[in-house]
Amino acid sequence: MSGSNRLAGLKARPKGTTVEEVRRVDEVGEARGFLDRTPRKKPGRKPSPRTYQLHPKVLPEVGEAIASEAEALGITQGQLIERMWSAYRG
Amino acid sequence: MPVIVMASPKGGVGKSTCAVLLASEFARMGADVTVLDCDPNKSLTRWASHGAPSGVTLKGDVGRSEIVPTIRSADGDGKIVIVDLEGVASQLVSRAISQADLVIVPMQPTALDAEIGSEALALVREEEEALGRSIRHAVVLTKTSAAVKSRVQKELEAQLSGAGIDVIEPSLVARAAFSELFAYGGDLTAMMNDPEMVTGGKVDKALANAQAFTEAVYERLK
Repeated sequence: MSGSNRLAGLKARPKGTTVEEVRRVDEVGEARGFLDRTPRKKPGRKPSPRTYQLHPKVLPEVGEAIASEAEALGITQGQLIERMWSAYRG
Repeated sequence: MPVIVMASPKGGVGKSTCAVLLASEFARMGADVTVLDCDPNKSLTRWASHGAPSGVTLKGDVGRSEIVPTIRSADGDGKIVIVDLEGVASQLVSRAISQADLVIVPMQPTALDAEIGSEALALVREEEEALGRSIRHAVVLTKTSAAVKSRVQKELEAQLSGAGIDVIEPSLVARAAFSELFAYGGDLTAMMNDPEMVTGGKVDKALANAQAFTEAVYERLK
């Protein structure tokens, strides 16, 4: 078997791709147990990306300074804030 | 050009192997083949990551929502679309079948494979009725013995023929080269010509089997 001329004779038949036809196919499939098995996403709001913004009222440069100081000390920002709170209270 | 869909709700029957063999053989014949990997196990993506043969383009991560428009956009003059589906009963499978020019249901010659594979055959017939058009479909027996035809295989072939189901001849024999394609990528011709590729079986026999199988599929697409 060789040569693309043989393949040129192959034809595709027209197929339905309308919403109605897909719905009919889904119905037929579901009746036979062919269900929608798309993995469900976790419910709820997605976690916000890290913006280094500790609080909406903290200015971005302050947030960045706290983040870099925490990184330099090898602790989390929360631990640094705890220390700051302790110094403030003390 | 035609859309060929590999369908069976059972896993491990040889859907991906059939898809790889057909894709590489049709590409060798000069077709522009697009393979859609709809299997979460990504067997075909793994195969292509080692190097897909010239003429084969792979599209991965095609889900239920994308299957119909993806097949439609991949279809065109001089192109053959081969869809490898997941081994579960899902809407993705039923939607892909609706877009097929030929549905191939691979099954090993076992009672379990036949029972579960028959679900796909029944679905094709129900879709034909719902859509008011015929969808050509055929069974190919896979992982058969090269030496002897087992009693179960003979019985299964007789049952399928008796039920009016098209059975593709030849069956796909259990060949080490078929499974090793997924480790090396490429096609059987490259495997046979590359001394670096070490296989545990006879690549020439595997290639002859794949070519005869592709010829039988070609006859059903005319």
